[in-house]
Amino acid sequence: MNLSNLHVTRTSRAAKAAAVVGALILIVLIAAPWWAGRADMRLMGELFLYLALASLWNLMAGYAGLVSVGQQAYVGFGGYMLFALTIFGGIYPLGAIALAGVLGALVAVPVALLIFRLRGAYFAIGTWVIAEVFRLSFAQVSALGGGSGSSLPVGIVKSLAASRSGREHLSYWLALGSTVIVIAAVYLLLRSRNGLALTAIRDNELAAGSLGIDIWRTKFVVYVVTAALTTMIGALIFLQKLRISPDAAFSVNDWTAFVIFIVVIGGIGTIEGPIIGTLIFFVLRETLADLGTIYLLVLGVVAIVIMLKAPNGIWGLIRGRFDIELFPLSFRVKTTHPSKKG
Amino acid sequence: MTTKITPWSRRRFLAGSALTLAAPAALTSTRAYAANPVIKVGHVSPRTGPLAGFAEADDYVLEAINQAFAAGLENNGKTYTVEIISKDSQSNPNRAAEVAADLILGDEVDLIVAASTPDTVNPVSDQAEINEVPCITTDCPWQPYFFGRNGVPGEGFENTYHFFWGLEDVIGAFLDMWGKSGVAKNIGGLFPNDADGNAWGDAELGLPKPLAAAGYNLVDPGRFQPLSDDFSNQIAAFKSAGCEIVTGNMIPPDFATFWAQSAQQGFTPKVVTIGKALLFPSVIEALGTRGDGLTSEVWWSPNHPFSSSLTGATSKDLADGYTAASGRPWTQPIGFKHALFEVVADVIKRAEDLDDPAAIVSAIASTDLDTITGNVNWANGPINNVTKTPLVAGQWQREGDVLDLKIVANAAAATIPITGDLKLLS
Repeated sequence: MNLSNLHVTRTSRAAKAAAVVGALILIVLIAAPWWAGRADMRLMGELFLYLALASLWNLMAGYAGLVSVGQQAYVGFGGYMLFALTIFGGIYPLGAIALAGVLGALVAVPVALLIFRLRGAYFAIGTWVIAEVFRLSFAQVSALGGGSGSSLPVGIVKSLAASRSGREHLSYWLALGSTVIVIAAVYLLLRSRNGLALTAIRDNELAAGSLGIDIWRTKFVVYVVTAALTTMIGALIFLQKLRISPDAAFSVNDWTAFVIFIVVIGGIGTIEGPIIGTLIFFVLRETLADLGTIYLLVLGVVAIVIMLKAPNGIWGLIRGRFDIELFPLSFRVKTTHPSKKG
Repeated sequence: MTTKITPWSRRRFLAGSALTLAAPAALTSTRAYAANPVIKVGHVSPRTGPLAGFAEADDYVLEAINQAFAAGLENNGKTYTVEIISKDSQSNPNRAAEVAADLILGDEVDLIVAASTPDTVNPVSDQAEINEVPCITTDCPWQPYFFGRNGVPGEGFENTYHFFWGLEDVIGAFLDMWGKSGVAKNIGGLFPNDADGNAWGDAELGLPKPLAAAGYNLVDPGRFQPLSDDFSNQIAAFKSAGCEIVTGNMIPPDFATFWAQSAQQGFTPKVVTIGKALLFPSVIEALGTRGDGLTSEVWWSPNHPFSSSLTGATSKDLADGYTAASGRPWTQPIGFKHALFEVVADVIKRAEDLDDPAAIVSAIASTDLDTITGNVNWANGPINNVTKTPLVAGQWQREGDVLDLKIVANAAAATIPITGDLKLLS
C-alpha cells in the first residue's frame, strides 16, 4: 500500500446523501404552511424549539463537558425579556427576541465567572441554584406580575401580523429558522478550530490542556453563546405560550429535564442525537400524554432502558454498528483511488 | 354524544410520527361522524399533579353530562351531537397552554371550557382569546382572572367569559363569620407570592383595605414563597401582635407546615380561616385532630338550595351521587364543574348560529341561567366578562368519625341555610 494513495477527509458518501436529503426535508418544512394544518404547524413549531434547546444543551454538556441543569434560567429570562421589552419598551416582538439574546449573553458573563469556579456535580448544582435565583428574582418584579405571572397583551401579538394565519405562519417559520440557525451554528462551531478544541476537551480534558488548549476560555465562549441562543429560544417559546409566570418560565421539568431526556436517549455528544431524541420524545408525548402519570412513568422507563442498553444513545448505537455520520465532523482516512483491495 | 379521551387517536399518532418523514399523507385521516352535525367542546382540567384534587370528580361529572347530552342538543330546530374532548393540564400552566392550543387548532373545538385555579384558567383563556374561540371558565376568583390577564376594566375581553366569586365576597363572608366569633380584632395574614396570594394581599384590591375599614388590625409579614418550610417569622410576628385570627390563602402543604409549627411554637389563634388550603376533606383528615374547627370559604355544598338545569338533580343529589359512585366525600368543585357544562348546554341551545364563533360569544354574554351553583348572568357582573355566584363561610366540624363542613355565616346569601354554629379553636 502506497501512502500517497491515502488522504484525510471529513466527508463520506452517507454525509453527502444526508446533506441532499436534509436540504430536501428543509424545503418541504419551509413549505409547511401550504401543506400542513394549523395544529400540525403548531406541533412542529414546538418540536423545533425543543430541538433547538436540546442541540444547545448537547453542545454544552456533550462537547464542553458543562453539565448544566439550570438552562431554564435562560429560557425563563428570555421569556421575561420578551414580555418586558414589548410591554414596557414598546419594541416590536422580533426586535425584542434579538435584543433578549444580547441581554442573555450579557447576563451569562458574570454567571459564568461565578459558576466556573465549581467542578463536576457542584457545577450542575450551581447552575440549578442560579436558575432558582432567577426564578425568585422575577417573582419579586411586580410590574411583570410577580409570582402571579402576566399575559402578553393581545395588541402585541397582533402586531406580528394582522391575520391569524399570518401570525401562525410567522411563528412557525421563526421556530424553524431558529432551529436551523442553532444547528448550523453548532455544526460550524464544531468544524472550526474551537470545535477541534472542544472535541479534544470532550475526549480528555487533561490531555487537551497539556496540548495547549485554553480550556477555560473555550468553555466560557461555549457557555455564553449557548446562553444567548437559549435566551432567544425562550423568548420565542413564550411568544407562543402568550402567558408567563415564574414557575412556568423557570420550570426545571419543561426546559431542562425533558431536554436532558432528549439528548441522552438520542445520543449525547453528537449533532444527530438531539434530532432523533426530539422525534422520539414528541412521538411519546403525542401518544401517551393523556394517560396522566403513566406517561411520566413511560418516559422514565425509556430513559433507564436506553441508559443501560445503549449508553451512547440511539444514535451512538447506530453509529457504532454502521459507522456513519450524517454531519461530517470527524476525520477519516480514505484511499484517493478506491481500489477493490481497499 | 361521544366523549373522546382516547390517548391513542390515530390522527395524532400519525401526525406525531410523520414529522420524521414530513409526510403529508399523515394529515389526510379524518373521523367519520353520525348524521347529526357535531359541536365540539374542549375541556382543560388539572387531572394530575398538585391540583388534581380539583379535578377528582371530573369522570363522575362528565358521565352525568354525557347522559344528559346523549340525545343531542337542539338549536334552531336542528339536533346537534355534542362531543366533549377532555385534556389534562398536568397542573402546569405551560402544559395548559399547549393542550388548549391543541384543542383549538387540532381538534378545532367550537367552544373551550376550563376550571380550577388561575394556573389552568388563565393560560387557556389567553389561547382562546388570541385564537378567537369562545371560552367559558370557572373555579378561580375573578380578580386573578381579570387583572392577572392584564384585563382593562371597561374593555374586558372579546371571547373569554368567567363565572365565580371575587375577593370582595370572600372578605364579606369572612368578616361576617369573624364578627360572630367575638374575638380580638387582630388578624395575622398569610399570603404567598403566587397568583392567589398576591391578589388576596394586594393593598388596593385585596384584604388590607376592607379589613381596616371594618376595624381589624391586619398583621402582614409580607409575601412568602410557596412551599416554604419555615413560618417562624410569621408566627413570631402574629404572637407579638396578639393575633387571635389567622387568615390568608395557601396551598395545603404550606398550611400543614404553618399549622404544625404554630403548635410547636405555642401560637394558638382562636379562628383560622384560610382560602384554598382547606377546601378538601382529604386535607383536613390529614391534619388529624388539629383539622377540627378550621374555617374556609364555601362556594358550594350539598345544602345549597339550587338544582341542575340539565338533570334536575339537587345539590344534595349531585354530592351524594359522587360519594356513592366513588366512596369519597363530596368536594366543592363538583358543583362548579357541573354548572360549567350547564352553561355550555344553555349556550349551545340559544346560539343564533353555531357555525359562527361571534354568535356563540354573544349567546354566552346573554346567558341568564339558574345553575346548581346559583344564577349565572353576565349582565350582572362586577366587571366585563365576569359574573358572580354566591359565597358563604363554613367550618370543618367533627361529628363522630366524620368531618363535615358546616355553613356558619351566610350574610351575603341568605338563601343558603346555616347548618352549624361557629366554634372557637381555643
